[in-house]
Amino acid sequence: MTIRYEIGIVDTRNVIKTLLDDFGYDFRDYALTSFKRRLEYIISLYALRDADGLIAKLKNSKEFLDQFLYDITPETTEMFRDPSFWRILRDEIIPELVRTGTSKPRIWLASFDSGEELYSLSILLKELNLLNDVNIYCNVLSDHTIQRITSGRLDPKDMEVNEANYQRFNEKSKYASYYRTEGSSIVFDVSLIKDVNFIKQNTLIDEDPGAPKLIIFRNQAIYYNQLLSEKIFAKLTNSLVAGGYLAIGVKETLENTNVSNKFTLYNEAERIYKRKTN
Amino acid sequence: MYKAVIIGGSAGSFQVITRILHALPPNYPLPVLLCLHRLKHVRSGFVEALSIKSGIQIIEPNDKEQIKPGKAYLAPANYHMYVELGNKIALSTEEPVNHSRPSIDLSFITAAQVYREKLVGIILSGANRDGAYGLKKIKDLGGLAIVQNPDECQVRTMTEASLKMTPVDFVFNTNEIIKFLQNIKA
Repeated sequence: MTIRYEIGIVDTRNVIKTLLDDFGYDFRDYALTSFKRRLEYIISLYALRDADGLIAKLKNSKEFLDQFLYDITPETTEMFRDPSFWRILRDEIIPELVRTGTSKPRIWLASFDSGEELYSLSILLKELNLLNDVNIYCNVLSDHTIQRITSGRLDPKDMEVNEANYQRFNEKSKYASYYRTEGSSIVFDVSLIKDVNFIKQNTLIDEDPGAPKLIIFRNQAIYYNQLLSEKIFAKLTNSLVAGGYLAIGVKETLENTNVSNKFTLYNEAERIYKRKTN
Repeated sequence: MYKAVIIGGSAGSFQVITRILHALPPNYPLPVLLCLHRLKHVRSGFVEALSIKSGIQIIEPNDKEQIKPGKAYLAPANYHMYVELGNKIALSTEEPVNHSRPSIDLSFITAAQVYREKLVGIILSGANRDGAYGLKKIKDLGGLAIVQNPDECQVRTMTEASLKMTPVDFVFNTNEIIKFLQNIKA
């Protein structure tokens, strides 16, 4: 990403208004600075000249809206980001989830991930031989995201980083066994994600898979303002079963939110919270 | 007079930053934002290392943390650090800029948009061009632009790139940067 073009706050608000009035997508409570940056990125990417150009393109092309919804969400740029988080998941949380209860535990990947978190989770489960013992639900905002994920073509920008992250997660196995190279592109093993349930969401995450035991929501609320963060955290909290886990980004906190009293901090460094049982 | 100081540094800036932080009193009237290139997979240790000799408290902020005077805010590993309206920190996992996350350009630009003419931007030693555009943005929006004297830098690339792009207000040695920061008013 380079910086080529900047728009103003009024322009940003005009785009937000179009998205809401014409398409019903509500971005009003997204964090302004990063949302503005994403718009600038999209305007540059499609050579749209300015915010008016973007608005015109949105209104004139149905297909572009889906592409826009894909691009407005920052791609998860790494697999196994924070390897220590994935180790805790592997060594502590997932074994507990499958050990307790009678039905298959549900895991809800609730952030708008571009596939990297989902494949990381699936590889982890495969290595535990538990891929068939959980149900995974994955939020998506655009059809483009589903296509990207189900094709296995994540087009990682930096395989060296992924490889290094994976080695920190599991030094005994080989990352390369989960993908093949096709010319210059990388194709991940799609059998890893064949049973994943995709949930097409609006921006306010109104669809709920119901009773997940683990919600992964890392580095998503950083793109919301305080108001929307609180709203979404309340939804996730209501969905999560008592005793279940909520993982947020390592530099996020529930401390100053309205749901903080519903959780205990299970792992501070990885920001994994446990829902109280009352 | 000013509302915030923002400092960007990369290779060769650690000792300079340490000296600057050492010279600031605990009741320093401004917040100091620090965007320093660092290893992305090493999350802990950097704040601790900088804190040993620092006169002011150094925080690696969480997202949405309120920015307060008398504290330094260090951009966390593997996140961009923005200044958001309402004087808050906003973090982002967007793509690296200039191969960097945190990117100095992004921290500087977003700080400039919030603080405008009430911002002091300082570029220190470093091995790439990150920060040059951000410093220009600070200057364009009426803020004050300072660059460490390239002759004093361990690596001069970043300061020279900044000087090429922006008619800065001051080119200072570390001692002069410290003296300046000690004398500016909120």
